[in-house]
Amino acid sequence: MEIIQVLSYGILLGGLYSLLSSGLALIFGVLDIVNVAQGAFLVSGAFLTWQIWDLTGIEPILLIPVVALLWFGLGIIIYRTLFVRVAPQGPSMTVLLSFGLALIIEGALNLIFGNKFKSVQTSYSLQSYKLGEINFPAPQVIASLAAAVVLVLLYLYLMLSWAGRALRATAQNRDGAALIGISHRKISSFAYGLGMATAGAGGVLISVSYPIYPATHYEWISKLLGIIVLGGMGSIPGAIIGSMLLGIVEAAGNTYAPQWTILFFYGVIILSLLFKPEGLLGARSRKDSV
Amino acid sequence: MNNSYKGLRKTALVAAVTALGLLITGCGIGSSKNSDPLVIGISLPLTGDFAQPGGAAKKGYEVWASLVNEDGGVLGQQVELNILDDASSAEQVVTDYNRLINQDKVPLILGTFSSLLNFPASTVAENNEMVLVAPAGGSPKIFEPMPKYYFFAQQATAPRQAEPFVNYILSLPESERPKTAAYATMDDPFAGPVIANMQALFEAAGIKTVYSKVYPPETTNFQPFASAIAKAKPEIIAQGAVFEDGVNLAKGLIQIGYSPKAMFQTSAPSNGAQYSDAIGLANTEGIFYAVSWSEKAPTPMNAEFVARYQKLFGAGLVPEEDAADAFAAAQVLQAAVEGTGGTDNPALADWLRANEVQTILGPLSWDEIGRPQGDFLLAQWQSGEVNIVAPDVAKTSNNLIFPKPAWTK
Amino acid sequence: MKSLRFTKAKKIAVLFWAILILIPVLLPDSQYEQSLLIVCFLFAIMASGWNILSGLAGYVSLGHSVFLGVGMYTGAILGRETGVFTFYFAPIGMLTAMAFAFLLGSITLRTRSHAFVIITIAILLSVQLIVSNWVELTGGSNGIIFRSPSWARTAGNTPYYYMFLVVLVLTVALVRFIMNARLGAGFISIRDDESKAASIGINTTQYKVIAYCLSAAPYGLVGAIYSQYLGFINPTGSFSILISVYLVLAALVGGKGTLWGPVFGGFFIAFANEASTVFSGGISARVLIMGVVLVFTVMFVPQGLLVSVATMLRKRLAKDKTVEFINQAAIAERDAPLNLNNVKRAPSKAKADSSESILQVKGLYKSFGGVKAVNGVTMDIKRGSITGLIGPNGSGKTTLFNCITGTYGADSGIVIFNGTDITKMQPWTRAHMGMGRTFQITKLFKSMSVLDNLVAPLEKPSARNMLANKMQGEEVERAREILDFMGLSSFEKSNVSALSFGQQKLVEFAQILMLRPDIVMLDEPASGINPTLIERLSKAIKKLNDAGTTFLIVEHNIPLVLGLCDYIHVLSAGEIMVSGTPEEVRNNEAVIEAYLGPDTLLEGLDV
Repeated sequence: MEIIQVLSYGILLGGLYSLLSSGLALIFGVLDIVNVAQGAFLVSGAFLTWQIWDLTGIEPILLIPVVALLWFGLGIIIYRTLFVRVAPQGPSMTVLLSFGLALIIEGALNLIFGNKFKSVQTSYSLQSYKLGEINFPAPQVIASLAAAVVLVLLYLYLMLSWAGRALRATAQNRDGAALIGISHRKISSFAYGLGMATAGAGGVLISVSYPIYPATHYEWISKLLGIIVLGGMGSIPGAIIGSMLLGIVEAAGNTYAPQWTILFFYGVIILSLLFKPEGLLGARSRKDSV
Repeated sequence: MNNSYKGLRKTALVAAVTALGLLITGCGIGSSKNSDPLVIGISLPLTGDFAQPGGAAKKGYEVWASLVNEDGGVLGQQVELNILDDASSAEQVVTDYNRLINQDKVPLILGTFSSLLNFPASTVAENNEMVLVAPAGGSPKIFEPMPKYYFFAQQATAPRQAEPFVNYILSLPESERPKTAAYATMDDPFAGPVIANMQALFEAAGIKTVYSKVYPPETTNFQPFASAIAKAKPEIIAQGAVFEDGVNLAKGLIQIGYSPKAMFQTSAPSNGAQYSDAIGLANTEGIFYAVSWSEKAPTPMNAEFVARYQKLFGAGLVPEEDAADAFAAAQVLQAAVEGTGGTDNPALADWLRANEVQTILGPLSWDEIGRPQGDFLLAQWQSGEVNIVAPDVAKTSNNLIFPKPAWTK
Repeated sequence: MKSLRFTKAKKIAVLFWAILILIPVLLPDSQYEQSLLIVCFLFAIMASGWNILSGLAGYVSLGHSVFLGVGMYTGAILGRETGVFTFYFAPIGMLTAMAFAFLLGSITLRTRSHAFVIITIAILLSVQLIVSNWVELTGGSNGIIFRSPSWARTAGNTPYYYMFLVVLVLTVALVRFIMNARLGAGFISIRDDESKAASIGINTTQYKVIAYCLSAAPYGLVGAIYSQYLGFINPTGSFSILISVYLVLAALVGGKGTLWGPVFGGFFIAFANEASTVFSGGISARVLIMGVVLVFTVMFVPQGLLVSVATMLRKRLAKDKTVEFINQAAIAERDAPLNLNNVKRAPSKAKADSSESILQVKGLYKSFGGVKAVNGVTMDIKRGSITGLIGPNGSGKTTLFNCITGTYGADSGIVIFNGTDITKMQPWTRAHMGMGRTFQITKLFKSMSVLDNLVAPLEKPSARNMLANKMQGEEVERAREILDFMGLSSFEKSNVSALSFGQQKLVEFAQILMLRPDIVMLDEPASGINPTLIERLSKAIKKLNDAGTTFLIVEHNIPLVLGLCDYIHVLSAGEIMVSGTPEEVRNNEAVIEAYLGPDTLLEGLDV
């Protein structure tokens, strides 16, 4: 029974992580940028949700399209003003730029909201669904379902729209995509915007499940990095599988050996980068060859 | 070495030497020296990990200065606070107090927040023979080097926070007394010792430990903890919590509907509305925590403190415990200055070792190495408010809720 | 003029150190200034140490403060066990940090760019967690507290001030030494192009681990002092990600890859930090300010403030300098003598001189995904020959080169060089054995001058060779002579990126001659260069070949190949289609049809 309970907690957690990590994977896959500001984008999305909820009392989940759209636009602006200039200088510089952004966002959130925890309260915050002895906390269930809906929409969009196909083409072969008339600059800012939109949607979801605080972005980004590293960095399906695995590991760790849970995340990052850098799903195209 | 490199080297050196020149001649980025007011130097973590308590402590110090100045100051001198941000970083604390003592030449200093930062602060204070009254920093470790100038301005050191709750549980009649307990604590220098000490005391009294886990500060998911604890069916749940973790474990327990006979958390429940908003006001009913101060306590100056806090920072706000602790630390320093009639720091230290000081936390006194000799208060959430339920002298309510009622969803 | 400027720079350096040394003496009442300068020193030390790995060798670490923590805990634990002040253990702290770096480097340096950055962060945070959980050794999250020395009350920060200053001086001296040594040139070559560095005899694995260890050394040294200075250490403070970011910021602001840039940056960040303490007035703006500085630096002055300012000044000074006229014909005609001993190994070293084949490839396969780039190639290269390798684009010529030189591992098959099976050997070992190759698109080290590029190859791996000053000794003499032979003397000091593509090809050719190669493998040496330089090139090839050097040449310029080579292999779809003398190949019908027809000939010339 306990095992099943642990697994269900893990899968619920994994569902939420899937959405949070897919944006990071998307940005890496298309742009070759490790966007360490993703955690800060998430947390700022959560703060925005909290602010609107606090003013209006609206059901936070309904804010997903609003925050996602806003963050999409913001992402395009950030990419066009900042990353476009730094991208040619190589990956290390984009990581640093991204880190700088994370610090700016953390500092700005501190100034605007103060160093206090904020919590969004909904009618289901403290509810839980039961299936026999197994317990499914309502906020997690709702967050996972919403994450799944957003992911399915994202998937359909990537598969069916022209922009989505262009984006996937670019992720697979940048030069090839350029040859068939896909503007790299446009598709890059579009991908960054899309990645940020998932962070906006994810921010809404974490606001219903966790108290939020500016500095928590470090915790989020280290988890998400572990997930996408495990899933092969640039792959969204990989990120989803990584999310499920690490969600289950986190639930199991917190049940049996909580002091080592976090170390497991870091361990996964280090070991998979060293021994299976292409991730669980294997094949990554050969980028180094001439 | 090619030319470009040489040019660069020259530029670099010119820049470095200019910077040094500025440092020596100007020295002092904006140092202020005004002989009139009595300046008290303080470093606080206004940014970084401890920004929340640091910000609260700043308010507490400011309330004290406001009240004292209105009252004619200390020894007839108006008080001025020189507060620097230490960004929650140890090396910045050292620089800050060095600056305050040696550059700004403040005659008095007050402590920063958290033991982690008061450790390095106390080394600077000891080396400069300056009294450091600290509003936080009750980790027993800090007294290991036998400080002469460090005074902790709460009732007792950290591990003893557990005692009021333990004493209360053990005072229950045999038939009502819980038989089992679960412990979860963050790996944290303050929360950890409280829970460890509690577990030792309870085990000695025959209360069986059915669950005991330590988790790192980064932990965010507490439903698995809640399930594991519920499975062990403890009658007491004690958590060494900071804030977020306390809220998350409580929420997890609420969601699965497991309510123990008694629940104790460090720190988290003392955060007033932040805490009750997060877990729902009704669910706070009966939760215990140890505390140094209550806004209802009948201690001298307490009402004035609360009123002035509300006047300065917003009507209806309940001051944070951290703000009250800072206020009390300032009261302690004020008493010593007035008691010795000056700011001779070694004399202040001697005076503090010999005298008891009345503060809004109650009377405080210290042993040879600055350890306080009092007892913490036991607080309990009752009908959406916090009451002090022990010890008798500080009680704000005679009512005591036991066993804790079931959660309401 | 030049020497005057040098003395000036030296004078300023002396002044800089003198002021730092004298501050406590001249200003006895400067406890605060000293504590501020200690933070400056600390950041300058850390940024300079980071610079060795990340600035010079190009491996960006975002978790470098892990070594500070290692130094702090080494000092602290030994101090606690022995009851002695922690700074006495500074040398042990240094060795521990270096040993730790050696371990980490041996494992992690196989990753590159993103992966390496992420891994360094993950290691920092893991070590922090392990230290928190290893309570018996480290005191866990409670940390360790030390008693102050008795002199602390009277002497204050001054003794610490000098300890930090000594470490800073040592660190700057170390970086200076590395930058002047061949070792440093090796680091920079790894930063500019790692696979190229390997192909000219630089054991990149070893160099990177050395860079990692050397960059950790100052951290370990200063860590043990720093813990006593603070009086207390704990895991979160000692292994802090923010300190890591700030020290990287310091190095970036000053200018990574330079000697004084990180020192300046360290001072800059420490002052900026102090200013935000003093001026913030309780507003939580520090993180915001540091973030803005980081973004600004990355966006607008990625080379660092100092480098940008220096470049600007230099541009202004150099405005009226005219571009030198280069007489290409003169280059081609000039016939400088070449002492063949400078480009050939002593005969005793060239092993198995008697055997007829210098290089044998047997059944070599290499595929990428589904593409069989090399599909079972077997060939013999005769000693002393000039062998051509031709074939249409995509026929696997370059991949074959890469497998022979070890840039790629072959899927199966063996490569024998001078009688030794080298299939499993590293590229640098092959270079040390006398194998030199150029690249289709030249891979010169872009941040170096022509002469620096020539002295970068490491003919023999030895500690003495690595530590020797790169601008002294016979290497430089040899490099000058080869440059003269190639007609490139006048470019000696130019940066390689200022040269034309053709000139770069000649420089790369000259560069591999520094290895004293037995076999020279040229990948399309004539493509994209003008006829004058082609003539120069053929002359050089013939002259060296007369002296016994073997050549293997991939080339599309068919007339050149036919005129130059003794023997030709024609490669098609990864397999050898035809082999023979130029005469035989020219008359082979399959070749004519597939490759030498008039249309394709034009196409070939066009490339």
